[in-house]
Amino acid sequence: MMTIKFMLNGTEQTIKTDPSRRLLDVLRKDFNLKGSKEGCGEGECGACAILLDGHITNSCCLPLASVHKRSIMTIEGYAKTARFDVLSNSFAEAGAVQCGICTPGMILAAESLLNQNPAPTDAQIRIGISGNLCRCTGYNMIVKAIQSAAKRGEGLW
Amino acid sequence: MVKHLIPNTLNEALEALSKHPYQIIGGGTDAMIQYRNHSDLSPRFKAHVMYIMNLKALQGISSNDAAIIIQSMTPLETLNSHALVPPLLRKVILEMASPALRYVATLAGNIVNASPAGDALVPLYLWDTEVVLQSHQNSRKIRLSECITGPKKTGIRADELLTQIIIPKHDESGHYYQKVGGRRADAIAKISFAGTYKINNNTLTDIRMAFGAVSATIVRQRDIENMIIGLNINDLSTKIEQLQAAYAPYIQPIDDQRSNRVYRKQVALNLIADFINHIIKEASRP
Amino acid sequence: MHKDISQSIHKLDAHARMQGKAQYVGDIDIKGMLHAITLRSPIAKGIIKAIHYPPLPSGYTIIDYRDIPGKNFVKMIFEDWKIFAEDTVEHIGEPIALIVGEDKRVLYDIHDKIICDIQPLEPLFSYQKSVIDYQFTKGNPDPVFKQAKKIIKETYETGYQEQAYIEPQGFIGYPETAEKVTLIGSVQCLYYVKNAVVSALDTHPDNVRVIQAAVGGAFGGKEEYPSLIACQLAIAIRKTQKPIKLIFEREEDMSVTTKRHPSKTTMEAAIDADNNIVGIRAKVALDGGAYIGLSGVVLSRALIAVTNAYTIKHLAVSGDVFKTNTVPNGAFRGFGAPQMIFAIEMFMHHLAKQLNQDPYSFRMQYLAKQGDQTSTSGLFRDPIIMPKMIQKATEMAQFHDKVKAYKTMPNRGIGMSYFLHGCGFTGSGESTHINAQVKLRKDDHDHVYILVAAVDMGQGAKTTLIKIVSHTLEIPIEQVHFDYPDTDDVPDSGPTVASRTAMIVGGLVNQAALEMKSLWQSKTPLEVIKRYKQPEWIVWDEKTFQGDAYPAYSWGVNIVEVEVSPITYQVNIIGIWSVYDVGKALDETIVLGQADGGTAQGVAYGYLEVMVHEQGQLKQKNMTDYIIPTAVDMAPTQTHLYDNPFALGPYGAKGAGELTLVGGAPAVAMAIEMAIKKPIKKIPATPEYIMELMHDDDH
Repeated sequence: MMTIKFMLNGTEQTIKTDPSRRLLDVLRKDFNLKGSKEGCGEGECGACAILLDGHITNSCCLPLASVHKRSIMTIEGYAKTARFDVLSNSFAEAGAVQCGICTPGMILAAESLLNQNPAPTDAQIRIGISGNLCRCTGYNMIVKAIQSAAKRGEGLW
Repeated sequence: MVKHLIPNTLNEALEALSKHPYQIIGGGTDAMIQYRNHSDLSPRFKAHVMYIMNLKALQGISSNDAAIIIQSMTPLETLNSHALVPPLLRKVILEMASPALRYVATLAGNIVNASPAGDALVPLYLWDTEVVLQSHQNSRKIRLSECITGPKKTGIRADELLTQIIIPKHDESGHYYQKVGGRRADAIAKISFAGTYKINNNTLTDIRMAFGAVSATIVRQRDIENMIIGLNINDLSTKIEQLQAAYAPYIQPIDDQRSNRVYRKQVALNLIADFINHIIKEASRP
Repeated sequence: MHKDISQSIHKLDAHARMQGKAQYVGDIDIKGMLHAITLRSPIAKGIIKAIHYPPLPSGYTIIDYRDIPGKNFVKMIFEDWKIFAEDTVEHIGEPIALIVGEDKRVLYDIHDKIICDIQPLEPLFSYQKSVIDYQFTKGNPDPVFKQAKKIIKETYETGYQEQAYIEPQGFIGYPETAEKVTLIGSVQCLYYVKNAVVSALDTHPDNVRVIQAAVGGAFGGKEEYPSLIACQLAIAIRKTQKPIKLIFEREEDMSVTTKRHPSKTTMEAAIDADNNIVGIRAKVALDGGAYIGLSGVVLSRALIAVTNAYTIKHLAVSGDVFKTNTVPNGAFRGFGAPQMIFAIEMFMHHLAKQLNQDPYSFRMQYLAKQGDQTSTSGLFRDPIIMPKMIQKATEMAQFHDKVKAYKTMPNRGIGMSYFLHGCGFTGSGESTHINAQVKLRKDDHDHVYILVAAVDMGQGAKTTLIKIVSHTLEIPIEQVHFDYPDTDDVPDSGPTVASRTAMIVGGLVNQAALEMKSLWQSKTPLEVIKRYKQPEWIVWDEKTFQGDAYPAYSWGVNIVEVEVSPITYQVNIIGIWSVYDVGKALDETIVLGQADGGTAQGVAYGYLEVMVHEQGQLKQKNMTDYIIPTAVDMAPTQTHLYDNPFALGPYGAKGAGELTLVGGAPAVAMAIEMAIKKPIKKIPATPEYIMELMHDDDH
């Protein structure tokens, strides 16, 4: 057991637990933040992705210890931002959401990408979401959604 | 009981290592999977665990006249956007780790994991990369190719931490890289290949080739490279078959769930030819 | 209100899903719940001598076949698929028992201490033991083959395909009373689950309640398999009288759940003196795995698709499901059609080449026309607009120019598939097996509730059904509701399968809405029930495969362009163009989304997705080794939809879900074939296979 302190969705949290636990489990179980999903459990599908200091990161292979004194944002926190509003409207309009299990991770991947590159090409978008598997959409509508969010949200990123 | 340590300083980490062996967790993208338990249960670490991803002393990239020095916990993402990092390595990183891994995964992780299919190892072998292994009292610098002793095996001692990766500065006319995975992104290599070359006045003054996932460790053979160093570019095409024959005994891939040995071997040989043809084509550009 | 129904709206559940608020089964916890894990057979075939369980700590329970109140099989079609292994095991991973208790660590500890004393028997992996065989003919094939100038024969093989939904399977359940069990799960077919559990518990139907959780992808994978784990869980809940959660992890899910049947199809064509195809003989072999499950139905759909979008006068069609000691295979979007359509499309293409004709114009000659007889001697009643669709697709892709150019340009290829998909259950299945019922309920605030068992698994059922009601009743979308169905509340409108939800369920919902409209009295509660009535003109003989197999067909054209590396033999998808006739899109964006996703799965089936077993053990058991496309692997798609309304579909809609998958594989295979100038007879056309072909000078 160790005491781990980190920023979670803008609030400082302190938790005493086994620090080797996967961040994914801690988020879902200890903080009841269930927007991060377990799809594959081995860093391949991105359904569990969160933002670590603004960068898309799989929470299924991140031990809680590694986020000590660092800052995490999950989809629940991100959903309260103006950037989310732009992205989510673009996703809904483009038809980029089907079953939705990959979507929170996909949206956070889009945020991470746009944060680094506010005007990506389609090819850059495809690379930016290449760690997030979607079995429903074939990705095209997701690419379109991110492209349209980049244009609509000009200045936000 | 497994003990957990998040050291605040490098010294604290090394001191702890001098007393007990620890399972070192960097970004965790390999180790957390390797020791993974069932969902919602703590990983099955067998030893004490030390988490070093956030150690400040192990972050950063610098250079001197001879080499680029990468601190071992520098995330791939940082390397990817750093001007000092050779373009070939950046290319490899882009294909090696998806964006959702890149911010925590490290080169050091790829090294200590010592997978025969470790993507970053391939270019690092080309450059005769060295690693610094530091213990509480000592520090030693060894060739990466000596550090990795077999599949999933390294010569890193229990009290040592891989702290630096030293990539000698390398003058090249160009490079070539092919990762052959099951798909175009986010895949483990079936085979990978990297090469660099240097041409002076139509003479090949240096050439280097390394192969991943074709043997127990990365294949690089300076003796075979030497066979064609010094040749005129115009004579290179006649040497392709000879080169392929020379490499053939070293290319001993396996059958597994990702591919088969026949394919891996054939592609490795094709890549040699393609690399040489690439050099010839590039050299003939006005 | 009078706008075109195809005009897209935001999917009604999109925002909750994006915010991470949708509750998938894994997200649901119940206070005091236990967990269940599964003990499985380590070997492919054997006789169970004894299972030695360790002493169990208090609060931990083993559930096995001895605890089943009813019969030990999962109620589907045949009584063959066991809930828990009893005397024998028939495949690796076959469930033997559930271990139930509070702490997962203890569960795995118990699991690891169990000793399975199983006497191994020689397992069967080849196509030897037929458990189902069907055959039918059309016209008079025997004389045609006797008189043929020549007979051309080819064999085609297809591999496994894994549904690879991103959300693994699972259920959570609780005892509502001592007798009644409630199950919440990731399912496509609430009533399949309910009926199976009623049979397993040998109880009154009122004692089983099944509720849908948000479903994170299904693709057929959650059609019949959930019934198995629901039965196991229900038995455990009855025994422990505690809430229990059973969630598969990825590796378990991939190792034990149903997949698309591997197949081997031999096609023979009788060719006359003018190089016309006068008859086709087809023989299909499906690897059913250890239990039959739905394999017979999959086989029948495969056989019916024998001539795909073509009309051939004389047919002799037969097929078998073979039992092997492998994981049972089952439903997967397309349901037998992808295997058959790969075979027939490639065969038609290869026939043309062998007869020195241009494959595309050759195939065009045989396209089915309105009034033609179907493969089962039924009738294509409705207008067929394939020529127009093909024209459009070829223009979009600049197909003919590329075909010309790639004759001389190495390593590039383009391929085009034509295809159809029958909508709804085969034959009279809708009336004899399903007999769907839907209910609309209006409350005193004039809000209307759609009560159907259809599941929104991402395909947009919630949005399209609400749109139908809203348009028909001419009330705002916000006034119509469709929540996750609950069998205590909704009638059995049938399973969410077979491209039937929009056309059949949507059609009934539309009729109910029309009736509600005629009876509408503001602020007065009202309930309308509609039951499926089969059109009288549908006549189908299940035994002889004669008659109208489907009330309607959806049609499609796929064009895929590739580049094949001569160095690594890898295939790079350059572009995908598609044209579809789904009658009428109930929401254009939703149908285009089905098109994108279905085509991606179909194309990937053709060149990318590899799953094989070795001695009954699947070698690809996780998302690292079972490769599905990333965004980088998929090329941009261009899709065009033509309206061709079907009189009996709601607003003219036909099925759209499966159609978009079935043509991808042959299109990509033909493209690869053009690029490497060698015939493709096997999918997936992996780089390893392409290498073999390119290095084989005999072809």
